[in-house]
Amino acid sequence: MSILSPEQKSIQQAAKEFVAKVIIPNAAKFDKSGEFPMLLLEASKPSNIFAMAVPKEFGGLNYDALTQALVLEEWGYGCAGMGTTLAASVLSMDSVLIAGTDEQKRRYFKPMLNAEIGSFGLTEPGAGSDAAAGTATAVKKGDEYILNGTKCWITNGGFATVYVIFANTDPAAGVKGISAFIVERGLPGFTIGTTDHKLGIRASNTVELLLKDVHVPATNLLGKEGEGMKIAMKTLDMARPAIAALSVGIAQRALDTCVAHVHARFPGKPFPGQTLQFKLADMQILVEAARETLHQAMQLRDAGVPYSKESAICKTFCSDVAMQVSATAVSLMGSYGYTSELGKYMRDSKIMQIYEGTNQIQRLVISRAVLAHAPAAGAAQKAGK
Amino acid sequence: MPKCLVCYKWTLDEQDIKIKPEDLSLDASRAKGKISDFDRNAIEEAALLVEKNGGAVDALTYGTATVKQSLKDALSRGPAKVYWIADASAESADAAVTANVLAAAIRKIGPYDLILCGEGSSDMFNQQTAARLAALLGIPCLTFLQKLSGEGAVVSATRKLEDGTEEVSVTGPVVVSVLSEINKPRIPTMKQVLGASKKPNEEIKIADLGLKPEDLVPKATRSTVKGFVMQRKNVMFKESSAADNVAKLKAGLASEGLI
Amino acid sequence: MNFELTEEQQLIGQSARDFGKQYIEPIAVELDHTGEYPKALVQALAKHDFMGLLLPDDVGGAAAGFVSYVEVIEDLSRYCAAVASIVNNHTIAAYVIQQWGTADQKKEYLPSLAKGELLGGVAIYEHGPTPGVGAEALVATKQDVGYVLNGKKAFVRNAGEAGVYVVFAITDPALGAKSLTAFLVKAAAIGVTVGEKLETMGLKGCPVADLTFENVVLAETALLGTVNGGAAIASQALAVASVAEAAQTVGIGQAAVEHAAAYAKQRVQFGKPVATLQAIQTLLAEVATDCHLARLGLRNAALLIEEGKPFEVEAAMVKSFLARLGSKMLIDTCQVEGGFGYSESMPLPRMFRDIAGTNLLDAPGDFPEKLIAASIA
Repeated sequence: MSILSPEQKSIQQAAKEFVAKVIIPNAAKFDKSGEFPMLLLEASKPSNIFAMAVPKEFGGLNYDALTQALVLEEWGYGCAGMGTTLAASVLSMDSVLIAGTDEQKRRYFKPMLNAEIGSFGLTEPGAGSDAAAGTATAVKKGDEYILNGTKCWITNGGFATVYVIFANTDPAAGVKGISAFIVERGLPGFTIGTTDHKLGIRASNTVELLLKDVHVPATNLLGKEGEGMKIAMKTLDMARPAIAALSVGIAQRALDTCVAHVHARFPGKPFPGQTLQFKLADMQILVEAARETLHQAMQLRDAGVPYSKESAICKTFCSDVAMQVSATAVSLMGSYGYTSELGKYMRDSKIMQIYEGTNQIQRLVISRAVLAHAPAAGAAQKAGK
Repeated sequence: MPKCLVCYKWTLDEQDIKIKPEDLSLDASRAKGKISDFDRNAIEEAALLVEKNGGAVDALTYGTATVKQSLKDALSRGPAKVYWIADASAESADAAVTANVLAAAIRKIGPYDLILCGEGSSDMFNQQTAARLAALLGIPCLTFLQKLSGEGAVVSATRKLEDGTEEVSVTGPVVVSVLSEINKPRIPTMKQVLGASKKPNEEIKIADLGLKPEDLVPKATRSTVKGFVMQRKNVMFKESSAADNVAKLKAGLASEGLI
Repeated sequence: MNFELTEEQQLIGQSARDFGKQYIEPIAVELDHTGEYPKALVQALAKHDFMGLLLPDDVGGAAAGFVSYVEVIEDLSRYCAAVASIVNNHTIAAYVIQQWGTADQKKEYLPSLAKGELLGGVAIYEHGPTPGVGAEALVATKQDVGYVLNGKKAFVRNAGEAGVYVVFAITDPALGAKSLTAFLVKAAAIGVTVGEKLETMGLKGCPVADLTFENVVLAETALLGTVNGGAAIASQALAVASVAEAAQTVGIGQAAVEHAAAYAKQRVQFGKPVATLQAIQTLLAEVATDCHLARLGLRNAALLIEEGKPFEVEAAMVKSFLARLGSKMLIDTCQVEGGFGYSESMPLPRMFRDIAGTNLLDAPGDFPEKLIAASIA
């Protein structure tokens, strides 16, 4: 476990308290209804947590990477659906952090100071893992771009104030023809499509976005034309660990729930034999190891060291751990597992392996890094980066 | 109560047959057998008639050695007994050979008042067996049946023609061939499936049918069977919005005269 | 050694699949949404003789062998595992009565169970650490004539719809689980209350609830088997049930891998169907392999049951295998379908929720590994 500074500890504690007060008591309700938890945003205003990644000069909290991960782990512990709302909003603002001018940053970050949220619009029906295959277009006309297209599986899309939308300014140029734009809610022609009902993270809003001749000022272009995919990839790199953090939270929660149930069902010792005990031990090993890969990646980022491989590793490992631990929890706790909130953790875990870059894409990133250089033959090697 | 016989063919399930893309040849190595589709309707029609009017129905099949796999299947669908002829000649048999064999068998195990067939087999679909069989037996043949009823010795039916329907009736022995729309075969219940093993089956040896060698030699020979793969136009609509794609699709279909 | 099903078993499977396609497939999604017990469907199942599969024909059963039975359960599960659950829990209750009942008990219950007019359920588990231990343990106190039941049973499948339950209670708190005894209790008996239907993750439509017994008076004739002989009955019943449950897992897994494979063949990313990517091929192959091996394992156990040979170890092996790899079948097929594998507008999420309910380890301390190890060490 990382050594946390007093400030980090106190932020983590504040997050725990918020989760216990606002998220945990409401998790089951919103999981059942699938409605968007507006009360979450309302309740977040005092802490300004939706601006946790916003730099101080724009009124934000400017939490470092590790601190953001601490917060997201707590939110994931409370409800991964509500945690996704925060994570996805931060994801969208990361694009602006990476490529925005100060003016763009000011405009994009302002709503977040009021617990309004952002949304990242990359995916299309024909462009999932193949993000470059998108067909949305942005045609330059005078000092505007006119956007047309359909985006799908867009988190926060139905309730965001600001969006980062990717579209082709030069369809013939393939991946180098994609550009990123800030789009504001309410622009004529920009509508919210159908809402998807999901297996899990049901409190998170997932929608289609429809763009029909949406006029966007040229000053909303992020970076330069053709830099869109580069921005998207850098953004996802930055945002991957957020999913790892949510995953660690889910896994810890599933484990804690099992332990609580074991105590309740078997008051006083001895607990039922080694098989059950050792399965719990294995779950603990995985959760702690997962947390370590996340914290390591975050410490690298905070130190300004390249961390793309570690980012992919922690996203993959933590989400796989959440899936394994939550599935084991359901099976191990038997019919209690099947009729309790343990089912939610298993359902919530599944998406962690899929969104923000499937674990198969992550393995592409990792395997490239692994195979980049052949290690020197023979002598013992130090683990290099 | 008319004595009924239903003739069926045991064919390969075309769903299991793979077409090799290189030369369009067929790979049937994993194909399971099934009762030919229209024959299934014929068996069901016979079963319905018996349930309504009483009596019993026999089944008759001519095929290669694999025909033994069909017996329980057929018996689970209504027939009280199944007669089977397993012979290598079935491999290359055309409709004439098939009719020769079936007619000889019927002369041996019959007579029957009503003989039911499917309109055509699901593999070859020659649509000749019923008519040839009737000719050999010297009795009338009613084809393309979408409705059938038997009242005593009179068989009434509705034939489906290209431009309408025709009501017909026959008194006395008759061969009929049925279309798939005549009925929807019911799913055999568990008891019907399990009861099939208790029903009798009887092998008829082809040598005992008194046929001449040339009766078993097809006049038309099959040289090759190839798969048919429909060529797709593979038109892609890549507009920037779903609405534009739909508009382009609509225009495309209209220009082809499809809508 | 023939690994193939007999013709008859294949025909049974074909009928079950045809039934599933015609009657179950059209209502599966709705059933999952409402969770309402599918009364009309159960009637259709009865009409096709699915409710009396293992019972002898002299009580109106189909007298099918156990291999045929698991084939049916697998095939029904492809379309809706909740329906297979209803059939399975009912069939196990009937099986127990058939195996251990007196002539009178068999006469009273089996004909209507076989016809599906009466639904059966089995009540084994409790909320306490093990059956017979704890404040709410179900106790059967001997009277001059008969018994009185007090206590609670947990997570009973078919609860609320069943007309008769096979209930396991201890007769002597001092002896604890060693005095476990089986009884036949009518749902309508005075003092029997069905608790609120529990919210399950999946298998919705097969009701699950607690049963409370308050001074339920049982005649001597309600005793099933011998006094204090219930543990052996429960153990056998659970072992037989576990083989059928494994068939549920395999049925769901098979349906999922077929759906995912079809999806992968038509989903184009990076210019080609994703089925051409080794990553996807690996996911599909592992699921197909686990499914195939589990099927062979459960058929082996089923054949042993059918032949009256010892089968508990083989059954435990299948249970152990699927406890580790059952849910993986849906974790991996959902992965193949990506976002579509997470949308409830597609079938895989429902199967994900369903499959998790087919490999629950409900008896802590009684993991299948214990029995397997005992057989070899």
